[in-house]
Amino acid sequence: MTKLTRRALLGTMGAAAAASALPAMPAFAADRSIRHYWWGNPERDKRTFAVIDTFQKKNASIKVSGETIGWGDYWTKMATQTAGRNMADLVQMDYRFLFEYVNRGALKPLDEFAGKSLMIADFDKGPLDGGRVDGKLYALNIGSNSQVMVHNTRAFQEAGIDTDLINWTWDDFAKVCEKITAKSGGKMKGSDDLSLMIETFESWVRQNGREFYSPEGKVTATAGDVTSWWQMWADLRKAGVVRDKNKTVILDPPIAESGIAVGDTAMSHYWSNQLVGIQAVAKDKIGAAMVPHKAGGQPGQFIKPSMFLSLSRDAKDTEAAIAYMNAWVNDPEITGILGLERGIPCSPKIRAALAPKLTEVEKLSVDYFTAIQSKVGPLPVPAPKGAGEVRDAFMRIGTDVVLGKVEVAKAAGTFIEDAQSIIERAQ
Amino acid sequence: MKRFFARNAPAYVFLLPWLIGFFLLALGPILASLYLSFTRYDMVSAPRWIGWGNYEYMFTRDRRFWKALEVTFTYVALAVPARLIMALGVAMLLDKGLRTIGLYRAIFYLPSLLGASIAIAILWRQLFAADGVVNQVLAMVGIQGASWITDPDTSLYTLVVLAMWQFGSPMLIFLAGLRGIPRDLYEAAEIDGTPGWRQFTRITLPLLAPVIFFNLVLQTIDSFKTFSSAFIISNGTGAPADSLLFYTVYLFNEAFKFFRMGYASALAWFLLVIIAAFTAIAFFTSKYWVHYENERD
Repeated sequence: MTKLTRRALLGTMGAAAAASALPAMPAFAADRSIRHYWWGNPERDKRTFAVIDTFQKKNASIKVSGETIGWGDYWTKMATQTAGRNMADLVQMDYRFLFEYVNRGALKPLDEFAGKSLMIADFDKGPLDGGRVDGKLYALNIGSNSQVMVHNTRAFQEAGIDTDLINWTWDDFAKVCEKITAKSGGKMKGSDDLSLMIETFESWVRQNGREFYSPEGKVTATAGDVTSWWQMWADLRKAGVVRDKNKTVILDPPIAESGIAVGDTAMSHYWSNQLVGIQAVAKDKIGAAMVPHKAGGQPGQFIKPSMFLSLSRDAKDTEAAIAYMNAWVNDPEITGILGLERGIPCSPKIRAALAPKLTEVEKLSVDYFTAIQSKVGPLPVPAPKGAGEVRDAFMRIGTDVVLGKVEVAKAAGTFIEDAQSIIERAQ
Repeated sequence: MKRFFARNAPAYVFLLPWLIGFFLLALGPILASLYLSFTRYDMVSAPRWIGWGNYEYMFTRDRRFWKALEVTFTYVALAVPARLIMALGVAMLLDKGLRTIGLYRAIFYLPSLLGASIAIAILWRQLFAADGVVNQVLAMVGIQGASWITDPDTSLYTLVVLAMWQFGSPMLIFLAGLRGIPRDLYEAAEIDGTPGWRQFTRITLPLLAPVIFFNLVLQTIDSFKTFSSAFIISNGTGAPADSLLFYTVYLFNEAFKFFRMGYASALAWFLLVIIAAFTAIAFFTSKYWVHYENERD
């Protein structure tokens, strides 16, 4: 009996090691074939496979195979493939993982192709430079986004709210929450409770004149920043104008369970390229507001590259891979299929070509993007290794705060200590 | 030698599929994970030897490791007895000789088949949510239920209830054990006028001891390895506030979320030590309370 259980147990544990023990899979034999790997959702997958079809029609000699998986499992599979020296030729990359992969030599720079087979000379410089590490371009921007406070326009209208939603402050935000809750007799709260949303908290830290992480990768946010953030939300909860605490502590819920989709709040926090997806599940027409500002503070919000396309170390036929990459950002038919689903493209030409065909909600996201240009701060330095774990710690410790099980200032101190030791250990 | 083979050959033939699987698929990774437990390995760069570093960190600096142990031990201490009592109770009811026993057996076994599935864990989350079925039923009798899943004080108990509900396989084993108890013992007890509960403590329990022991060991090992239900209900993170941070969930996160394969391997080997220790304790103490019918003292 012991033997059997040992086996069963070790089998599970050994799975972790299997990745390293198995020999690398041989690459596909035909040299004119490339693999493209991305994280997706049904809508994105549909569009991406249509892009692949279109590309193959135009380039009959190149075979593209697409591999897609949800965000949750994407990086696990990616790490496994990297360890097995079996990365796809082209991989979708995220800002927070870019430096990690470059530092480990998993990506190839694109500079030698620029101007020859990769035409990016007229692209917006800011978004494009987001893909540079130590001066070299390792990741091609395929869309930009920013945070957005999605709101229910009907509820805002009924409550008679005429606040300027681009320039508003946290005080305005609290007043709006009060009005909406009062108007609906408490049935619809003003907003989701963003206590556990570290992205918005990072903006809060910037508004206070600091960055969350220093360029050297140290935690520079203070316990005071955390305390004031959690205290503000505690006050709003006490006033009864934000979402029920038991809903708040459900981490990373799907869009369909957010307050704006369910209809029990008038505001939720998202990323601008998700507007299309949210409108699809929300009953009322949605609008886009900025994260509120601190009165007299610094700009906190920023525009970030939402997704990149990178050339992997394991790419065999780089010429074919770059041809595909170039078509992604320049071919009008292909960019037409992609639309704004991955974010706002950084080619002015492509944006102009897309403009007349936009749906109402796509237009909302473009208008929002234009409106916030002068209100945002610079792109922060990329987060150090371990940032994902810090995010978990923020949610974990914040849960006790939201449920009122621990004193705000004490929890804030714990979080900063934990964050520092997590970052230290990850290096 | 020849006699050994003649006697044991059939056993080894039956073992063959398992042996092949073990040597071809499991042994390599097992040894690799032992090696990795002494390294720092992020799956992208090559493993770096750090000696006892992982184990040292685990015992001296890792607060979440202790939290995971606390959660897991609490769960095992509650879930194993709860499930065994439930299983024995139902088995005794079924043993009363219902005519449709086959049907009932199947029905009671069903949750165990489903229990390991993702769907049940998701269903559980819905049942015990703040506005879930459990609270709606409680509301009907005028009780304001808690938010079971999202409250760190109650979340673990919802999993204990889930474990209790999955009593099927120990129940089947108990049932078989009960069937093996000679009826004439009970008949003799009846004639002597022994009350029911004494029949239970003096006949049923002692004669069932080997089966109870078997179930206890199996269920303990099983409970230490609880993963999918906790993973699903806590969204893979051990939330709320680490109250569902089962050892295996923590191990998984270290390995596949934070890519600390070396540390995760060390965690896995320590889990093996824990389980082996518990099994050894069970076997060691068993001679004081488990008696086999064919034993001669």
